[in-house]
Amino acid sequence: MKIYISGLYSGTNPQPGVGIARSLRTAYPKAKLIGVEYSNRCSGIHWQDFDEIWLQRPWNELNLTTHTEEIRRVLDSGALWISSIDLEIMWFAGVFPDGHPNLLTPSSAALEQVEKPAVPAHEGLPVKIPTFVTTEISDWDLHAFCREHDWKVWLKGPYYEAVRTRSWAEFEEKRHILSNDWATGRLFLQTHVSGYEESIALSAYEGELIDCVRMRKRDLTELSKTWAGDISEVEAEFIEPLREIIRKINWTGGAELEMVRDADDQLWLLEVNPRFPAWIHGATITGRNMPASLVEGATGLTAKNSPALAEEFTRVVMEIPVRSEFPLSPLPEPLGGTIGHSLKHPSGLLQFASRLHNLSSFDEEKSNGGGKSSQFKAPNVPPSFINDLGGLDLTAMETPASLFLENTAAEYFRKAGELADDLSSDALAVTNAYSIKTNPDERLIKLALESGFLAETISLPEVKKAIKIGFKPEQIILNGPGKWWRRENLPDGKFCSIFCDSIEELNRVIENLESGELQTEHLGVRLRTPNVASRFGIPVDTPEVFERLIEAVRRIPKEYKFAAHFHMASSNVGVGHWWHLFESILRWCGSIEALSGRLIEVLDVGGGWFPEDLQKDSSRNFKKAVALIPEFLPHVRRIISEPGKALAQPSMAVAMQILELRNFENVVHEAVVDGSIAELPMYFFYPHRILYQNPQNGGWKPLGRGKTKLLGRLCMEHDIVASNIELPENTQIGDILVFCDAGAYDRSMSYVFGRG
Amino acid sequence: MYLDAVSNTLINTNGSAKTARTIEKKAVFEYWKDWQPSQISHHGGLCCEIAREWITATDFSSLNGDGIFTGPRWLRQKFNWGASRFPIHWCEAVRRDTLDCGALAALAHEVFTVRGVKSSRVQLVQKFSALATSQWTDSWGKGNEPLAWIKDDLIYHEGCAIDTGDKNIKVWDASAGWWVDSKPADGYGALLAIRLSDFNLRTGESFKWGEHIIKADEWLETS
Repeated sequence: MKIYISGLYSGTNPQPGVGIARSLRTAYPKAKLIGVEYSNRCSGIHWQDFDEIWLQRPWNELNLTTHTEEIRRVLDSGALWISSIDLEIMWFAGVFPDGHPNLLTPSSAALEQVEKPAVPAHEGLPVKIPTFVTTEISDWDLHAFCREHDWKVWLKGPYYEAVRTRSWAEFEEKRHILSNDWATGRLFLQTHVSGYEESIALSAYEGELIDCVRMRKRDLTELSKTWAGDISEVEAEFIEPLREIIRKINWTGGAELEMVRDADDQLWLLEVNPRFPAWIHGATITGRNMPASLVEGATGLTAKNSPALAEEFTRVVMEIPVRSEFPLSPLPEPLGGTIGHSLKHPSGLLQFASRLHNLSSFDEEKSNGGGKSSQFKAPNVPPSFINDLGGLDLTAMETPASLFLENTAAEYFRKAGELADDLSSDALAVTNAYSIKTNPDERLIKLALESGFLAETISLPEVKKAIKIGFKPEQIILNGPGKWWRRENLPDGKFCSIFCDSIEELNRVIENLESGELQTEHLGVRLRTPNVASRFGIPVDTPEVFERLIEAVRRIPKEYKFAAHFHMASSNVGVGHWWHLFESILRWCGSIEALSGRLIEVLDVGGGWFPEDLQKDSSRNFKKAVALIPEFLPHVRRIISEPGKALAQPSMAVAMQILELRNFENVVHEAVVDGSIAELPMYFFYPHRILYQNPQNGGWKPLGRGKTKLLGRLCMEHDIVASNIELPENTQIGDILVFCDAGAYDRSMSYVFGRG
Repeated sequence: MYLDAVSNTLINTNGSAKTARTIEKKAVFEYWKDWQPSQISHHGGLCCEIAREWITATDFSSLNGDGIFTGPRWLRQKFNWGASRFPIHWCEAVRRDTLDCGALAALAHEVFTVRGVKSSRVQLVQKFSALATSQWTDSWGKGNEPLAWIKDDLIYHEGCAIDTGDKNIKVWDASAGWWVDSKPADGYGALLAIRLSDFNLRTGESFKWGEHIIKADEWLETS
């Protein structure tokens, strides 16, 4: 019996070929095992259990037609073929559409049913699929997905590779790398599931499940790959639906279901690999030789029993002799100025992926990765943006220009006011406050005043400005670490609230209140809870500081209402995490109340919300939050909500003009604009929706993702205001682009640069 | 007589049925069978209440949104494992750099309970090696710390168990920061015996831990 085994890479993220050979050698000592590889750098070709090595040229230069015919001859001669390479298996499914009795790999139809991330075949198994989205949706929506899932997301390639993306900048960088590597923009983002990894490996032939085992990872490599594991039986509740699925999709070959078990014992299916796992010989060690069971199932030839040596397995690093017929190649020269020798994917798998996309047998609509057919969606832009832009005469403006979207701003402030009214009750008043630092534009501050907001300030010059616009001291909240800066601006009168950023400040403010130097209705503290990366507030992460805080709170004179402040940018930490932090703060406040004997009467909550996050289910979420407060803090009578960013961000935009178009192979790959990161300093933190104005009819078109970089006017390397947009075909120099969502910190933190 | 209740009976055939004799093998937990789980004491004043509130509030913050059945591994990151002198009070415990398995288990039990998870204390007997236990004997002995938790190659250990529903439990080793595997094992680090104890448990109340059925307040040999 001859068995061809392909996929012999044996680094720290190995292919299973060597493990399959070891298992088959145990079961069929006399079988001729032929290792198939596409690079002599894959060290598995030197493994002793292979009787022969069939070394092909790398995938990028392989003549696939010739290779197909060679494989057909091999299979027709009676030899079996077990593949360990996902892409090769997909290719086989295309070039052997009717299969071959000796080709022990699944069909194209079966592969479609296990395609990640949806894994359609999973229905019936006691598993869930982690939430995912394709990266073909707009950047705006991808950012929303990341926020919604607390930035605990993985960007995954169509076939291999998954990388954590903890921020927008990191996401953009990794997306660029993976898209280039796999020659496709069709990637996907999937939520992270915390828990313990486990797999089920199986063997099946023509729709019959032959054997399966469960493996729990017990030690991991740096890439979270298996280093050690234990093997156990799969419970009946899993096997029976699995058997049905295998039958239904007529599976042939090995497979691995990769899963995570969370703290609630729920299994999450991450993916189904269409081949045996690399640890498959670990199962053989425990007496469950699945490669042998597959061969036995396909041929009827009885396999020699594989003794159970243990219930657990582990790996070691071994040095083995190099076959003289395949001497080691020299290391490639490091590229000038770089570190390392660039040895990833020596068999040319990346290029093979690219070639697969171009094969007629490869249905790119149905398969992952079809790069040519990627359809990137443009973001939705609220009609109010367009209406407001329609009222502005951009031709009369000098660009780059900051645009105030007056009606949009008014609408957002009005909705925030309505929400506060809706949430208020006789027992609990909800009041909005506008954080002046978010955007100190007088029009917005005035809008806040007219909408019944309080003013939240972080310095006495901000207090002065608020008073100048019409706020009274009793409508002003003082916050932040430097609120007493420029003390000559301290107004007469009683503030609404003062929130202290440290115990030292709290002690000092108590002295100032007692001496009559300061007046306020509420005196409170800003808290920094453990595990939060922040420089603001009183850190309660040690019992010593917590005790000092309790002592200080006990000293607050009784005539001042005690208050607590919590602020965290939900756009940075994620929406779910923000709500956890909110509940965490309630618990800390409850402890402070109980231990100090001072009742908390005012709770000031800052969100750093994205407008969409505040509006999406806002009524339901905030009602839930307002209902939660009395459970922990029954004496709170007033909630101050600070939705600064959520209101200011959509209220302004930046108009820019195209200065130059740079073409390469008939595609505009770079365009220079007269705007820059000086006007869009938040470019690195979130995507902005971009509108293109048609110079003929003045209409606005939201831009989707494409291949054009927009270069800012500054002589700064990182002045790139958009890295992947699709400009309309007839774009001309002088055309106008409007960057929306630029009314918050883009505006307040913009700076003068390169203007002479 | 308690020995009858807890001893195993082995038949030593010694190659001949005629010479067969019954020998008494002491239970692995024999040495510690009357020990009670460690407790953290409360001064009855604000000092201990602040400490206790700090532990439970920090625990909620440390969950970072994960489920309430998540093991409180942060405790082990905050405190090194080492000798603790008892009695130990809350206000002392939170300021210590090192806590022993009993104190760590007591803290873990507390945080699980405050989360709303039904938790019990567990006492464990684990097997290590003579080399390992001699190391501990040496290092703890130098500080005149108690050594009664070590006996030959066995050690007494503490953790806590949480009820995940339907009387199924998971056993949290607060000193190691992991869930103890219920699969029977022998060798280095193997769990040999376990006892669930908590004043909330009814005598004879039983729980399922993997393949084991554990009765409250009764030692069970697991391998």
